[in-house]
Amino acid sequence: MNTTLPRFFWNEYRKRRKRTSLITFALFWGTLSILLLMAFGQGMSTQARVSFSGFGQTLIMVYGGQTSLPFEGLPKGRPIRLYPEDVDYLRERVPEILRIVPESYNSWAVSAGGKEINRTVHGTTSDFAFLRTQVPQLGGRFLDADDDRLGRKVAFIGWKVANDLFGSQDAVGRTIVINRVPFTVIGVLRKKIQDSMYNGPDADQVYLPFRTFGQIDNQRFLDQIHMQPREASQSTLIEERVKALLGRKYRFDPKDRYATTFWNTIEDFKQGQAIFKGIEIFLGVMGALTLLIGAVGVTNLMYAAAKERTKEIGIKLAIGARRRTIIGQFLLETLFVFTKGTFWGFVLSFNIVHLVRLAPINYDSFGIEGYLLRPVFSLRTFIVYMTVLGCLCFLSGIFPALRASRANPIESLRYE
Amino acid sequence: MIDLKDITKVYRTGSQSLEALRGVSLAIGRGEFVSIMGPSGSGKSTLMNIVGCLDTPTAGAYVLDGQAVAGLTFDELAAVRNRKIGFVFQNFNLLPYATAWENVELPMLFDGKSGRKRRERVTELLNAVGLFDWREHRPTELSGGQQQRIALARALANDPPILLADEPTGNLDSKSGEEIMAILIDLWRAGRTIVMVTHDDHIAARSERTIRLFDGQVVA
Repeated sequence: MNTTLPRFFWNEYRKRRKRTSLITFALFWGTLSILLLMAFGQGMSTQARVSFSGFGQTLIMVYGGQTSLPFEGLPKGRPIRLYPEDVDYLRERVPEILRIVPESYNSWAVSAGGKEINRTVHGTTSDFAFLRTQVPQLGGRFLDADDDRLGRKVAFIGWKVANDLFGSQDAVGRTIVINRVPFTVIGVLRKKIQDSMYNGPDADQVYLPFRTFGQIDNQRFLDQIHMQPREASQSTLIEERVKALLGRKYRFDPKDRYATTFWNTIEDFKQGQAIFKGIEIFLGVMGALTLLIGAVGVTNLMYAAAKERTKEIGIKLAIGARRRTIIGQFLLETLFVFTKGTFWGFVLSFNIVHLVRLAPINYDSFGIEGYLLRPVFSLRTFIVYMTVLGCLCFLSGIFPALRASRANPIESLRYE
Repeated sequence: MIDLKDITKVYRTGSQSLEALRGVSLAIGRGEFVSIMGPSGSGKSTLMNIVGCLDTPTAGAYVLDGQAVAGLTFDELAAVRNRKIGFVFQNFNLLPYATAWENVELPMLFDGKSGRKRRERVTELLNAVGLFDWREHRPTELSGGQQQRIALARALANDPPILLADEPTGNLDSKSGEEIMAILIDLWRAGRTIVMVTHDDHIAARSERTIRLFDGQVVA
């Protein structure tokens, strides 16, 4: 094809663009809809993962309970308590455990600067930060091994606790009083989204070194033990081993479901992932169907456009246009329309996604908006979409083009 | 230049068939001005379409400028239409969204002529038909006579030796028709072969020779 012909076709396209505006709009609208659908879907899925990890996604918790089965002459109904020494006992015997931390808690009045609030106060060790995603805000830190070893009177607090007691002022270095004992705040939890919890969200909690907690609380047993496996795949094995070890130590049947309770977030995460995958597949199918409907619409419009131009094609054939010239023009016009429609669809959807992402999330009452306000614009989705739509548009363009190029010039010239 | 032997054209629609041309034989020499006349349905346009390589005969032989048309492919026929034949239609058949300049330029674009050659030729042709100042106008902004002059300029774009005119004055007022005829006669005098379909005896009388068709056959 002569190099000047594409320029001439571009010129023709520009003059006729009002006629192709419906196709351009269909492509624009389809691109906008599908990219937004996928961005919001992926954003929801991502946010669900983030909120899951906000609690801790490779975490197994074990709680004491009450036996429901008689065992070795002992009656059912005996309380099973976990004690601080169980942490070392399990660590030594279960090599699959990477990290293990004790946790005890109690509800006390927490006061500072004349303000007093009731909050759950926890005693734990430094590894709790890894297990439960406790990331401090800038300028602060979580509890460390020395705090525990030395029984320091320091506290790590949730951002809502900091806000309730100190407002907008920096809480780090300030003193809070818990159960009439003064503590220095060493860190404030960075805002996070969290979909699972016990005793309320972490934003509302206060954490003390385990040893220090023991000094102000007279409860000798633990409320729970947190464990992180070396490999996520070992979580059920760890559960089984811990159950067996504790059963041997406290003399209960390992099959007794009520003697100890496990909360395995790894298994929960696996189930959650299946749901996320389901959402993604659903959205993918929706996207594919929308794409198909759009492609059918575009094909129809292209066909109608070709039909409408029958006489024009006849004129061109009569004055010497070759078959490839007619096909080339149709394909070039398809390319122009495709590029224009999808470009503006891409630009608008990209900007909508980024504008929506600017909206602040209310971490204090994380709800549905937390899932909707963080759409993710995926380059991979965009490339897949453009490839599929590009192929569909090519097919939409090539068939009318072939039909037009095979037309009898006489019949085309007579067409009105 | 144009040599037709026993040309037959049959149109088939379902089980029915219509014989538009029945054994037409004629020869038109280089530089001749021939008009074709006949009542509606006599086969004038069909003959014109075959001569112009817009259609192919069902049977018979057609030799154009020493070349047998029967064996040519779709694109080879397109090349013949582009370089050897210029068409002037009754209803002008200009591209409605293209300017006068672009309409005249189009056959040269299809022929791959350079930009400079195209510009020179379009300028020359538009000046020749007196419409250079109207070059940026679209067909809808031109009168019937002006449109036909643009169509004539387009037909001459690649300087074809043959000009086929199908009722070129049929949609024009007498003054515009006269202007078109004057141009055609000038072109003939300049050595071009002209074949013209017409209903009008006065118009036909201005050609060198008239071929009359009736029921798909040459009668005179």
